[in-house]
Amino acid sequence: MKPVYFKIIILAGLISLACTTRVSEWILLNAIPNKYTLICFHNGPVSETLRKQNLSIGNKIKSANIRFKTVSRKDIKEPYYGLYFEDRLFSRYNNPDEFRNLITSPLREKIAVELMAGKLCVMVYLKTDNNEKDEKGLFTLQKALAASPFGKIITVFELSRNTTEEVHFATLLLNVEDDLKGIQEPMLFGVIGRFKALEPLLGRGISEENITLMIDYLIAECSCLIKDDLPGTDILFTDKWENPQPALLNKIIDDNPSLGN
Amino acid sequence: MQNDTISYDTLNNRPLPKWLIDQKEGLNTIQPQKIVMRKDNSLEISFIVTAIFILLMVAILTVYFLKKHENKV
Repeated sequence: MKPVYFKIIILAGLISLACTTRVSEWILLNAIPNKYTLICFHNGPVSETLRKQNLSIGNKIKSANIRFKTVSRKDIKEPYYGLYFEDRLFSRYNNPDEFRNLITSPLREKIAVELMAGKLCVMVYLKTDNNEKDEKGLFTLQKALAASPFGKIITVFELSRNTTEEVHFATLLLNVEDDLKGIQEPMLFGVIGRFKALEPLLGRGISEENITLMIDYLIAECSCLIKDDLPGTDILFTDKWENPQPALLNKIIDDNPSLGN
Repeated sequence: MQNDTISYDTLNNRPLPKWLIDQKEGLNTIQPQKIVMRKDNSLEISFIVTAIFILLMVAILTVYFLKKHENKV
């Protein structure tokens, strides 16, 4: 066989593989997380103490999807820090103690392990601490996952919005859309890829139909329409996304091809 | 820690996420080309062209026969 024919066959094979990759796997392998910006606002020249403090902060957060910079403003009295994502202010901190453990937390570590293990997604159930509301949504979620053939490759984590240990994670989730902080309803976030949180289902929106649609979205063959307009917000986390396990979804679809259509 | 806050009116008016609506309506897959019905004038054009052709042929043949038999008349 002439080398040129061999190359054409290889290229065609790669193109066909690209078109059959599922959304969840494509996002994990290809979608680089967008960066946050942590800005130190100060007035006038930077003092030696502040310079050392900022140097230390810069070193601590450099492994995450975040950049650090300082901005001088004349209209402020005391230095403060602002956490931004695409021009949106997520949080304001008056001193570095308030954003300790900003880039990682125990739950975020657990979620990353699940994503790297080839799970379809992690669903984070953000509770209101109102038992009646929380139990209703959780029951619906468990029912929907039990009925889905993909339920076993989805991990669910519960998180209270009033937690102190995961306060930064809860805040990041509540900033996925700009009105979430004002809504006292349980929320269900699909977390996929390299910690991308989809816009959540909330309150009555946590229905079996919508959860099934979320799963259908993640198991669909990745189309250009999805690639060009990826939903969700990247969550702040340390960058450790090399060599993920093969997607568990592929085995389920290989064993039962009708589920992949 | 202070967060920016935006007041929220009512949960009932809040739409579902766009990715979910697109999935529900099947917009995340390549859409088939929409076939739009157009007015078909081909029959009228065919009648007009045929009529013009017949009239033209009649006129040409009339002139031809008149000229051919002019001397006999």
